[in-house]
Amino acid sequence: MILIMAWRNIWRSMTRSLVVMGAIAVGIWAALSLTGFATGMVKSYVNNAVQNIVSHIQVHQPEFLDENEVKYNIPDAEAVEQAIRAEPGVKAVSVRSVVNGMISSSKGARGVSIKGVIPEEEARVNALDENIVEGDYLSGEGRNPILVSSELAKKLNVKVRSKVVLNFQDRGGSITAAAFRIVGIFDTDNNPFDLSHVFVRRNDLNSLLIPAADSSLAVEGLAHEIALMVDDIRQVNLIAASLSSKFPNLKVQTYREISPDLELYEGQIKNISLIYLTVIMLALVFGIINTMLMAVLERIKELGMLMAIGMNKLRVFLMIVLESALLGLVAMPVGLLLGYITIEYVGANGIDMSMYAKGLESFGMSSIIYFELDPIVYLQVAVGVFLTAILASIYPALKAIRLKPVEALRTI
Amino acid sequence: MKVITTKGVVKIYNPDKIPVKALNGVDLEISEGEFTAIVGPSGSGKTTLLNIIGGLDRPDEGDVEVGGHDIDAMSDNKLIDFRKEHIGFVFQAYNLIPVLTARENVEFVMLLQNRPKEERHGRAEELLRAVGLEDKMDKRPSELSGGQQQRVAVARALAPKPDFILADEPTANLDSKSTANLLDLMAQLNKEEKVTFIFSTHDQRVIDRARRVVTLVDGKVATDEVRESE
Ligand SMILES: Nc1ncnc2c1ncn2[C@@H]1O[C@H](COP(=O)(O)OP(=O)(O)OP(=O)(O)O)[C@@H](O)[C@H]1O
Ligand SMILES: [Mg+2]
Repeated sequence: MILIMAWRNIWRSMTRSLVVMGAIAVGIWAALSLTGFATGMVKSYVNNAVQNIVSHIQVHQPEFLDENEVKYNIPDAEAVEQAIRAEPGVKAVSVRSVVNGMISSSKGARGVSIKGVIPEEEARVNALDENIVEGDYLSGEGRNPILVSSELAKKLNVKVRSKVVLNFQDRGGSITAAAFRIVGIFDTDNNPFDLSHVFVRRNDLNSLLIPAADSSLAVEGLAHEIALMVDDIRQVNLIAASLSSKFPNLKVQTYREISPDLELYEGQIKNISLIYLTVIMLALVFGIINTMLMAVLERIKELGMLMAIGMNKLRVFLMIVLESALLGLVAMPVGLLLGYITIEYVGANGIDMSMYAKGLESFGMSSIIYFELDPIVYLQVAVGVFLTAILASIYPALKAIRLKPVEALRTI
Repeated sequence: MKVITTKGVVKIYNPDKIPVKALNGVDLEISEGEFTAIVGPSGSGKTTLLNIIGGLDRPDEGDVEVGGHDIDAMSDNKLIDFRKEHIGFVFQAYNLIPVLTARENVEFVMLLQNRPKEERHGRAEELLRAVGLEDKMDKRPSELSGGQQQRVAVARALAPKPDFILADEPTANLDSKSTANLLDLMAQLNKEEKVTFIFSTHDQRVIDRARRVVTLVDGKVATDEVRESE
């Protein structure tokens, strides 16, 4: 009966109740959408970084990571590659040789990391082939082709078909220089990465890295980095652990270890949703307190009468709390549905932020954000709003039970 | 048997500012089955006395015993329960819960007492029939006239079979026909169900129907007249 009374009471001031319910629904919608936006942004950053740059897992010789010198190549790289390909859950593997050097044109020079890749393999691990904005991706044809980014091309004042010179130390320690011809220009959304990386064919690079006098290593055998993608990103840690145990002398790192900022961002998603939720709940608390206080004050006589005829304080208290909880419960599905529709729609179609945030790309994010939301957030928001409604009703409910029936009945 | 005994009851409003001695030593005994009117000029203390007897207010001096209980010793929450179990109230106005139907209003106190559903339904129908509102059971108070509302209030007060019913000017907002109807009803219930009624009034026609008339003047019992039944 208390429930029935509470339910009917909230419809007594229909407009007022609808306004609070509207506010609650909009609050829920905003909390969900903002969290969806933040999640989408972080995921876009992480996905870009994983797809264009770090891949899921990388394998190196441990010293290579510290010293970054050509001589720290992966021993017996072909066998390692075969074993990784055989690992269940591994989708694609690219074996690279890497050397730090200098790229120069007639207009300037810059330090870069030169990555020697097998074009078809690299394309399966990395979106490099899709990121070509001018010219073509690496192929088997032509002599010494190279890919540079549009940022770097601007700095060096070169374009497709221009010639550049790469300088670096070979495995014997002597400085080598070779001319390469730009066949394509790429652009990931990450400017710092773009400026510092160029891609060539692995065999071209390896033949320059292995001095003529060195017969210990075939051209196909030199590799410093094995990058791989897995089928299911949630399996990353498992697969990395399994590889680690198979190659105790190599360093196996997941994208989170390679780029700790990615892990940091991923971890922030939870905090972001909590912050939004808290801010919105605070705003709702005041709206609900105000409404419930009005509902109590305009019913003083009636509440006095209820206590006079025997409704005890606990029941009066419960009735007021229930009224507030019901306001929240009615508004909740509306807000959740609005939020869900927004998340799903923007999740599928994306929202173009380039008008508002020109600089997004320099941080390595796409300018089109696809909303995304962990389903648990719906539950968090629902529980949060429900608790808010109950908390906000406590003060008005206390006011109600402090009334003295005689005085309440006498007030006009 | 005595249901109510007051001894030297004094009630002072505003003790700190301008004190008003609303009751100035009231001694009164009311027995089971009475049909008693409390009368007196405006401001003589009728409402104050009924509130104190009904446990809605506390005296500053004197003793009040209701059904053998010293109600002054009870906590506020205890008093609410005591009222629920022992006393029926009919106020001048604002008697009914606006969001409940006539039937639900009548059942309300029984519901607070956790009486079983069948008993509540049966009693509510029986009483609404007795007050002549069998066709208005599912109407809300706003759909009823003032007289009908007061009859629902009487039914509500009677429903849990209280020891007695306190009514403060129950007819003040009613026209003469509704007043007569309500009084007929109260008199009949008093006779047939042996319900004790104590009501305050200004209305001479109501006073004429009472079997005992207690007159208050300046917070004291001035006359106490018991009549033969009408
Ligand atoms: N809450 C209060 N505060 C101060 N004075 C009060 C209060 N309630 C009643 N009084 C005073 O106490 C006296 C008795 O009031 P009470 O309401 O009991 O009279 P009454 O006989 O019921 O009058 P009426 O016939 O007008 O209803 C009056 O002088 C009144 O002004
Ligand atoms: Mg009065």
